[in-house]
Amino acid sequence: MGLQGKRSFRPSEPLSDTLPKKGRAMRIVRTLGVAGVTFTTMALMLVSTGGTTAGASSIPTGGTKVAGGTVRWAEPPSTPPTYIFPFMSPQESSVSNISQFQYMMYRPLYMFGSPQKNSPTLNPTLSLASLPQYASGDTGATIGLKTYKWSDGETVTANDVLFFMNMLHSESANWFDYVPGYFPDNVKSVTVNSPSSLTFDFTKSVDPTWMTYNEFGQITPFPAAWDVTAAGAAAGSGGCSTGAYGAASTDAACAKVWTYLTGLASDLTSYATNPTWGIVDGPYTIAASKGGSFSPSGQVLLVPNTSYSGPQKATVKVQELPFTTDDAEFNALVGGALDDGYLPQQDVTSAASNATSGGKNNPRLSKFYLTPWILFGFNYAVPKFESTGDGGNAGAILKQAYFRQAMQSMVDQPTMISKFLKGYGVPTYGPVPVLPQNDFVDKFEQSNPFPYNPSHAKSLLTSHGWKVTPNGTDTCQKAGSAKGDCGAGIPKGAQANFTMAYASGTAWQKQVVQVEQSAWDSIGIKTALVANTFHTVVSTYAPPCASGTPCTEELGWWGGGWEYSPDYYPSGETLFSTDAGSNASNYTNGNADSLITATTDTNVSLSKYEDYLSKQLPVLWEPNADYEISEIANNLRGVAPQNPFANLFPEYWYFVKS
Amino acid sequence: MTGFLVRRLLQAVVVIIGVIAIMFVLIHLIPGGEARSVLGPRAQPIAIAQFNRANGLNLPLWDQFARYIWNVAHFNLGRSVTQNQTVIALIGQALPKTLVLVGLATLLAIIIAIPLGVYQVVRRNKPEDYILTGFTFVLYAMPAFLLGTLLILWFAIYLPIFSTEASQADTVLGILSDPRAMVLPVVTLAAISIASFSRYMRSSMMETMTEDFIRTARAKGAAPRRVLFVHGLRNAIIPIITLVGLSLGTIVSGAVITESVFNYPGMGLLAVNSAFRDDIPTLLGVTFVVTIATILGNLMADILYAVVDPRIRYAKS
Repeated sequence: MGLQGKRSFRPSEPLSDTLPKKGRAMRIVRTLGVAGVTFTTMALMLVSTGGTTAGASSIPTGGTKVAGGTVRWAEPPSTPPTYIFPFMSPQESSVSNISQFQYMMYRPLYMFGSPQKNSPTLNPTLSLASLPQYASGDTGATIGLKTYKWSDGETVTANDVLFFMNMLHSESANWFDYVPGYFPDNVKSVTVNSPSSLTFDFTKSVDPTWMTYNEFGQITPFPAAWDVTAAGAAAGSGGCSTGAYGAASTDAACAKVWTYLTGLASDLTSYATNPTWGIVDGPYTIAASKGGSFSPSGQVLLVPNTSYSGPQKATVKVQELPFTTDDAEFNALVGGALDDGYLPQQDVTSAASNATSGGKNNPRLSKFYLTPWILFGFNYAVPKFESTGDGGNAGAILKQAYFRQAMQSMVDQPTMISKFLKGYGVPTYGPVPVLPQNDFVDKFEQSNPFPYNPSHAKSLLTSHGWKVTPNGTDTCQKAGSAKGDCGAGIPKGAQANFTMAYASGTAWQKQVVQVEQSAWDSIGIKTALVANTFHTVVSTYAPPCASGTPCTEELGWWGGGWEYSPDYYPSGETLFSTDAGSNASNYTNGNADSLITATTDTNVSLSKYEDYLSKQLPVLWEPNADYEISEIANNLRGVAPQNPFANLFPEYWYFVKS
Repeated sequence: MTGFLVRRLLQAVVVIIGVIAIMFVLIHLIPGGEARSVLGPRAQPIAIAQFNRANGLNLPLWDQFARYIWNVAHFNLGRSVTQNQTVIALIGQALPKTLVLVGLATLLAIIIAIPLGVYQVVRRNKPEDYILTGFTFVLYAMPAFLLGTLLILWFAIYLPIFSTEASQADTVLGILSDPRAMVLPVVTLAAISIASFSRYMRSSMMETMTEDFIRTARAKGAAPRRVLFVHGLRNAIIPIITLVGLSLGTIVSGAVITESVFNYPGMGLLAVNSAFRDDIPTLLGVTFVVTIATILGNLMADILYAVVDPRIRYAKS
């Protein structure tokens, strides 16, 4: 899902923009020139070791547990939850709606990440089902359900899973994570074996890890009581939870049920009072009959679901509170009106000495401890390979891997994170996140394949027929596609001159692009920066260029990055395979396609794919800000470290005596 | 007067359609598609096509515009594409908040600024006048976010008399039942208006007090207080009526900075957030409501002119 719910670094936040002076940026560039290597080495050591350093906040432990209480939790600025039905289009998919609202009431079949751990892996304990048992050469899998109950007393059954699958088959165009060719197109049949078991048959063999993480990870069982087309109808009367998977009659029945449920979900004022939404299998409910509440303005009171069948029953209530801006949230934090909030970047008073544990807290927040919240994702800028800008030269130049490598070699991410994010960020070295710590990333990617190295960047250009003019504009001297030439489609005399759009409103992002502009300029690559709103940059740079249509965009960075959720396995099928819907740069490479297919269809590690893509640079890797710098009350336990997919587990939270 | 009102109302309809047309065209000139902007970088072509169909964005622009005007004529402002609510529901949540905040602030500003302006004229070129002039200039020059933040710091954190945020109630009654929470945002907003209104009042009053009819009133032996308040103030207040009439649009469109600082999501924030998220139906809906308020404010000011100044007779003009 996108990062529109980012809590402290809202891309479209216009009011907190502390615009840097250009002179400051220039000073920083000069500083980078001198201290770049030192900073890079130091920051890399910090990032890679993940050890604690003096000055970093520590997570309090111990204390005498206090029963009950209400945790006042800050919502991301101007992003309250607005959708309750856990089957939504991209329009409604957001961290605020899914991870921090729906999942607390309607548990996905497989839960990813664990309470108080930042490990981005499947959590068997909190999942509703046992791990899938793959068979027949990985062309099928059987899933066994654990004994979970809905709050209306019914058991979570295989038919509830089939209900979701039938809905997905019928309404795939309305499912936010649908990618043609993948889930559920790759599912041939779903058979209910018993109330607690069902079998999936696939259209081809799959990589079990990929299938479990990226495809089964999307499933959220629905209660039979939702299988209706009118209020008061008998549970299951809609025919969507019992019909044969893929049958036309089932699709038709599910379409009616979907219409009914989305109609209910469009009335926010009834979320707490409509009995439909009161049937939950998660640890929390907003049902008014149980003491919960929901206001369309974003004030949500989640109360414990006393019939939750999971391993840990909730004891505290959670009051989600809306905020207009992070400044307003900070005022509430200082005023003691919150138990779990966030520190706006502009209010960070002390740099993080460690990427995972942060630094000293703002002295005005002595009643809170600080902890960085890092999500499992990465950040990138998009070079448009099919750009028709500059008579087509821009696209032809950006299509050259050596040219992108030269550009990447001028991006000093560790220093940028240290300087502009005060250490509250993570570098991106490839398609697999280097932090939070995970088993998917390999040593090669972690080593930063393209450290800041101007001489390497220059040699890449000169060895490919470019005349490098520092602080001028490089020109292609050797047209052609042979070794040592500029590359296919680049005429002699073509200039390295681009326009780069970036999302305005976020100070650190502006600082990063300004430093990149200066760094590239120092090796003769000219970039004209154009600021625009986050949404305008997304709408112009995220769509791949269409064949035969003018595509004037050249380089763009909206800054929101990519989070691996609910595609929890960091494979690149939707991002970097040829003609993928989110392949914004129009990257196409036969070898990359083969490696991507191998990660989805066969049981291989991600290493070959990630190493190749790290070097290939289908996009330019950019620094990624922490999701938020969390501020948690000193007397609140069980919150940190936080989930790398932005999920909340308040059933593990409790207060201790102050 | 009736003919005047009918003419103005007909003009208003033309203005409203014109404003919507201009907004409609301008918004659709923003580069990139609304679908991709709203659905984000992960959206697949199939989702974008679905979104465009569902929101009529696959239709020609003129067709979209005609449908929008038709819907507006039937009090249907559409549905927000980012907040899962109708635009009328969103405005229904934001407008009462803004009316309370900006309405109270404007009222407070008028109550303080008019006597202040008059007092400065009475004491013109005296130390009191200089001090008040300096003070109002300071207020006028002070950005709302700075004043708001300072007030929070002093009166909500260091001296915890008021709360750090405005009332979080969703209804007018709920908001008014928590007056302590509204003190700081109302004062923040009023302070800036007081500065502006009192300057206008002072200069208008000074000009009026040099008029012949004032001299005549004094020559006829009218008491200074009567000259000031009956002859002077009634004539000097006309520019303030214009200001207040024009400010109705501002009252409805909200005070985005004050709303942001005090966590009070009113019309200003609704408009700004809609613009940043490319939520076109909401943006158009807010524009529509603000346009109506601005026209009504002007109309009310015109009518009040006639009430305050009997020399103005619209029926004859």
